[in-house]
Amino acid sequence: MTLQTTQLLGWILLLPFTGALVLGLLHLTFPRTRRLDTFYAALGVAGPVVAAALGLKVLYAVASGADVTFRQTLFTWLSVGDLKIGLTLSADALGAVMLFIVTFVGSVIHIYAVGYMRGEKSFGKFFAYFNFFLGSMLLLVLADNPIVMFIGWELVGLASYLLIGWYYEDPANVKAANKAFILNRIGDFGFISGLGLLFALVGEGGFSFADIAAHIGSVDPAMTALVGLLLFVGAMGKSAQIPLYVWLPDAMAGPTPVSALIHAATMVTAGVYMVARFSFLYESVPDVGLFIASIGAASALLAALFACYQSDIKKILAYSTMSQLGYMFIAVGLGGYSAGIFHLFTHAFFKALLFMGAGAVIIALHHEQNIFKMGGLKEKMGLVTATMLVATLAISGIPPFAGFFSKDAILAHAFASGHTFIWAVGVATAYLTAYYMFRLFFVVFVAPPREKAEPAPLDRTVTWPLVVLAVGSAVAGFFGLPEAYGGQNWFAGFLHLPDRALHLGSGEEFLLDMLNLLVASAGIYVAYRLFARSPREAHDAAAWQTMLRHTLYVDEIYEALFVRPLRGLSRLLDRVVDNRIIDGIIGLTVGGYRVASAGFALLQNGSVRWYALYFMAGLCGLSLYILQNIGGE
Amino acid sequence: MPEKIILTLLGLFLVVGALTVVIARRPATNAIGFLAVLLAVAGLFALLNQSFLFLAQILVSVGAVVVLTLIVILTVNLKEEQFPKERFKGVWIVGASVLTAPFGWLLYKTLVSVANAFPKTQKGFGSAEAVGKSLFTDWVLPFEILSLLLLAAMVGAIIIGKKEQAYDIES
Amino acid sequence: MTLNPESFLALATLLFGIGAVGVMSRRNIFVVYMSIELMLNAVNIVLATFSRLHPDMGGSVIALLIIGVIAAEAALFLAMIVQLYRKKRTVDSDAFTDLAQRRLS
Repeated sequence: MTLQTTQLLGWILLLPFTGALVLGLLHLTFPRTRRLDTFYAALGVAGPVVAAALGLKVLYAVASGADVTFRQTLFTWLSVGDLKIGLTLSADALGAVMLFIVTFVGSVIHIYAVGYMRGEKSFGKFFAYFNFFLGSMLLLVLADNPIVMFIGWELVGLASYLLIGWYYEDPANVKAANKAFILNRIGDFGFISGLGLLFALVGEGGFSFADIAAHIGSVDPAMTALVGLLLFVGAMGKSAQIPLYVWLPDAMAGPTPVSALIHAATMVTAGVYMVARFSFLYESVPDVGLFIASIGAASALLAALFACYQSDIKKILAYSTMSQLGYMFIAVGLGGYSAGIFHLFTHAFFKALLFMGAGAVIIALHHEQNIFKMGGLKEKMGLVTATMLVATLAISGIPPFAGFFSKDAILAHAFASGHTFIWAVGVATAYLTAYYMFRLFFVVFVAPPREKAEPAPLDRTVTWPLVVLAVGSAVAGFFGLPEAYGGQNWFAGFLHLPDRALHLGSGEEFLLDMLNLLVASAGIYVAYRLFARSPREAHDAAAWQTMLRHTLYVDEIYEALFVRPLRGLSRLLDRVVDNRIIDGIIGLTVGGYRVASAGFALLQNGSVRWYALYFMAGLCGLSLYILQNIGGE
Repeated sequence: MPEKIILTLLGLFLVVGALTVVIARRPATNAIGFLAVLLAVAGLFALLNQSFLFLAQILVSVGAVVVLTLIVILTVNLKEEQFPKERFKGVWIVGASVLTAPFGWLLYKTLVSVANAFPKTQKGFGSAEAVGKSLFTDWVLPFEILSLLLLAAMVGAIIIGKKEQAYDIES
Repeated sequence: MTLNPESFLALATLLFGIGAVGVMSRRNIFVVYMSIELMLNAVNIVLATFSRLHPDMGGSVIALLIIGVIAAEAALFLAMIVQLYRKKRTVDSDAFTDLAQRRLS
């Protein structure tokens, strides 16, 4: 390979964007034909797969050298005085790991989408959007300065919007897409405010992450804290944390590959990635970190509670995603950046797998999403059942699957940092996670079927990605095998993020793990007792259960608090301010001109001698003026 | 002082003729006033030693224009009841005069401001020879253009004056 | 010479003013035409006077050319009067108001 590794970054970025462009143009040229579908699929998958291969090479190159960062400036984007902001890509250990997650999981989900979306109309458009999303995500991940990161941040929001509203014939889906977009705008407002403030503070010395890290020490800590808070508001929107999470469950309106890629594996983790990227900043303001961790803990617990009472398979997974993102924020908030990114890494595998398994069930049952109408699928869909079991065990934290190690790392870190309450919330969430995930698993696969539904056969492009990800979910955890089990936590050593150093004895960590395992097993047992034999959707429940089923009426509260007053204000502006006041002013002006013109029109009586008279009157005035003021001599 | 007496007479003649044109009701009377004005202007030319202009004025204005005007007036041959009903003629004349007066005053002041006394006349001033020399040396291009103008006017007059069925302006 | 140019110029101004008043105040097209001729003649007087003031024949030549223009104008104007009279059987200038705008759109 003659290409330099540094130049690879540009190619990795270019491949999905080129794919999106070509696919989009082809689709626009031949919008109705179905004969190009195979070609679309090949082209749509080729870009991400090649990018994944190149990404792997980059990861290998980063891993083989010690503390190397590949950096490539494509062009200088802004040049103001001495300040130059280039479209610069960089891949350090963190970036390379994210690059690998995004391209690898992205490729697998692209392949899965070929089977899932087969027969849908606008096949080419879907892959154009999908490739566009992947390119945007890579731009976000590989950005060397916050400005470029923000561009990627916004572009993934756009791609998310386009794909949530994919089935745009249904107004509810369009509404969901708008909701996601608008809530993300609120977060982005915080994010760009933070970036602006940061630029005002340290912008003089250059604005790449390295420059900011070099200069952040000289800034007033209060301002640093404010910047950190504002940036975290952006993360709240993007990563669906309290209070900006309400878009994520609705975002499940998009096709399942979209949910798997964007709303589980990659885009929603951008907030965690961003916090880890700015770890040098958050490191210096532990109070903001504690706030982040609290938000994360609250989100994790609340989402887990919600997930226990949902019956839509994708919404359960959506709340589960939010819950797991909460874990990640606990970790990064308490300074365990490696642990957070490690959970992000494992979560990408098993959550994508869960979504894809759910999607396989959904298309096999002809777009049925209510888990209580499924059941007994383990005989008919063996492969899907097996892979889903792996993923469910992984997310529940059962060794030796991936989730056990990453979740354990987070909880151990929380415990060691002394924030016992957050740790307790995390353990409680772990119990709930095991409970609701196995509730889903038992109801869908194990419990006797409610209705005689014959699953449709699945395409091979749908099933094989499941196997690939199942293998990933099973073994990904060993990359971060903690020292307590004889590993060296290779993952954390590789990332070399500024983790807060905490000492926890092997025995203590072992005990904590046993507790986690116990809690998870309890959850599984309860789920087994309640749902494995005769699942029923509890309708006649206590008031607090009804409230949880309706997700605490948060949507309604937001509606009453924000949407209605805004709508009322808009209506006031429309009906009164615009119609009466502004139109009134314009109307008065128009009327004035009309009256004046009617008066002047009377002068135009067509008789030329009158015109001569006007002419002479003008001359008369002019002459009088000249005689009076100029020709006075 | 014979010139002064002649000038006064010519001035009177001119003003009376001009007022006749503006005030008189019948077109024939107007035409007589018009003739008087043109003759008075010719006389003024004579007083200014412009002998060739005097001749041209008599020949063209008096000989051609007034005769043409009279012919047209007689051709149209308006009856008394066909005259325009000008009920506010006096008001109009007075009003227009008031409006015109400042401009006239300004015009007069401007003209006088560049005028000084008449110099002595050189020999041959205003003669056909002098005018002709100037006309065919310095002013030959305007002269030729004027010939074109006259041709165009002739053609135009014929076309406008034709009966309508040949060249209907409205259709 | 005892003549002074002011009297000539005064006469020319007077003639011009009377012509202008005639154009504005009379409705008979013949009078309008003759008033215009009066104004042209006033200009001629001024030209002749200034030609005499600076002994230069240019002014006389222009006056001569204007006499030619007067002749052309007379031919055209009278032809127009005849044509207008044929159209409406009147010589009232207020009868010809095709330039007027009729109604607010």
